This record gives sequence, structure tokens and C-alpha cells, in this order.
Amino acid sequence: MKNRLRVLRAEREWSQQVLADKLEVSRQSVNAIETGKYDPSLPLAFRIADIFGLTIEEIFLRDDA
Amino acid sequence: MDNSLSTAAKPVARPGLWVGLFCANFAIVAVLFTNETLNPPTSGILFVLNFVLLIPFVKGVMRMQEEKGAMTTAVRRYNRRFLTFSLIYAVAMLGAGWGTGLVAQDSPLMWLLAVLPMVPAFGMIWTIMRYVAEETDEYQRHRAITAAMTGLALVLVCGTGWGFLETFNLVPHVWAWWVFPVWAIGLGIGMIWTEITTRSGGDEP
Repeated sequence: MKNRLRVLRAEREWSQQVLADKLEVSRQSVNAIETGKYDPSLPLAFRIADIFGLTIEEIFLRDDA
Repeated sequence: MDNSLSTAAKPVARPGLWVGLFCANFAIVAVLFTNETLNPPTSGILFVLNFVLLIPFVKGVMRMQEEKGAMTTAVRRYNRRFLTFSLIYAVAMLGAGWGTGLVAQDSPLMWLLAVLPMVPAFGMIWTIMRYVAEETDEYQRHRAITAAMTGLALVLVCGTGWGFLETFNLVPHVWAWWVFPVWAIGLGIGMIWTEITTRSGGDEP
């Protein structure tokens, strides 16, 4: 699944570690989600969306999008 | 805050040497044991050496996890518990091994000696169960479970395969406690495999 995490993070000038701290996960987890190696569960996807003040669909995109 | 400067100043963790020495020593013990040539005091020395090597092994892996940003509270707790149970296990094994020469074969005390190393071994299994329950980072839990499933696959393949070979008297009998070291080897293979397949160039501070 594609996502816009890196762009959204860059807009806010957050490092992966900053986002990881906000989500209460490891930096490796943020990196895995950001690079599409791991698709987060629905609860974690909602937490990510809440932190950026966006909906899940505005962050995570279908592979064919 | 500039994390890159403080990270650059620290020495890079290279647990490979300790992991390699630990595995080599374990392999020597396994070979000597299966050849029935593992006798005291060599057995005691090699056994203690394995658990001495386990300390820098675990510390090196923990440093590497810190550097990779993979460290969580649950991982830290898991490492501490596992190391503690491993050291208790080493002492219990040596104590039980020493005790068997002093206790009669049919004595009830022999049961006590047999149970002695079993308790910390069960402690290690409990530690793994606690980790899965306590880990709140779902990606780290996913990685751990994937590695554990690789360990389970190795146990099933080796156990089932060896069992059939043993049934037809083609290989010698192997004690059932070997399931745990075989599972641990599979866990290690699974962790390395997960590391390779999920490696990416997107690491940032």
C-alpha cells in the first residue's frame, strides 16, 4: 500500500524519530510503514491520521491509485 | 536537537563476532554430544563458555537494536529476562550434572535434579509469551512472530523428519529437549531473514 507519510512528515519538519515518539512506536516501525514494507493495522492507521489531522484515505493510497 | 552528532560519536555495534563465537561453541557442544564424546571437564567448560558468550552477544544485539531504532520497552524487558533465565539455566544444568553422580538412579532426588534445569527453561518460554503480550509496537510484534513461526517450522521439519528416520533405525535417538535449541536456531534464521527482506534505504534519524 502506498502512502504520503514521508511528504507529510517533511512538511512538518518531523524526523522519523519524532513521528515514532508521537505514535509510541519504534523508529524502525515508522520507516517500515513509510517505505511500504509494512501496512499498519486499522487502529494504528487511525492514530497516524489523527496526528496529521487528516483522514486515512488522505494518507494511505491504493496500490493502483 | 541534533541526534546525528551524538549517534556518530558512539561506536558502531558489531555483535557478529560474539554471535559467531556463541554459535561455533554451540555447534562444538552439539557435535561432541551427538558423538557421545562430551565428557567432564570439557563439557562443563564449553557449557559455561556458551553462557559467558551469551552476555556480550545479548548486549551487542541490544546496542544494534538501539542504533537501528528497533528498541522498545518490551524488547529491553525480554532481553533482560531471557539473559537472567539463561544464566539460572546454566547454573541449574551444571548443578544437576554434578548432582547426578551423587544421587542413586531410582532416588526421588533424581526427579528434583531433572526438574532443576526445567524450571529456568520454562522461564525462557514464559519470557517469549510475555514479550508477545507486552509488545505494543505492532510491527516489532509482527517481526517477532514471523521469526518464531520460522523456528516452529524448523522444529516441525526436523522433528518429523528425524522421527521417521529413527523409526526405520537409520539415525540414533535424540532427546526431546532438543526442540528448544532447534526452535531457537530457527528463530535466529527467521530474524536474519526478516531483516534481509525488510531492509530499506529509508532510514533517517
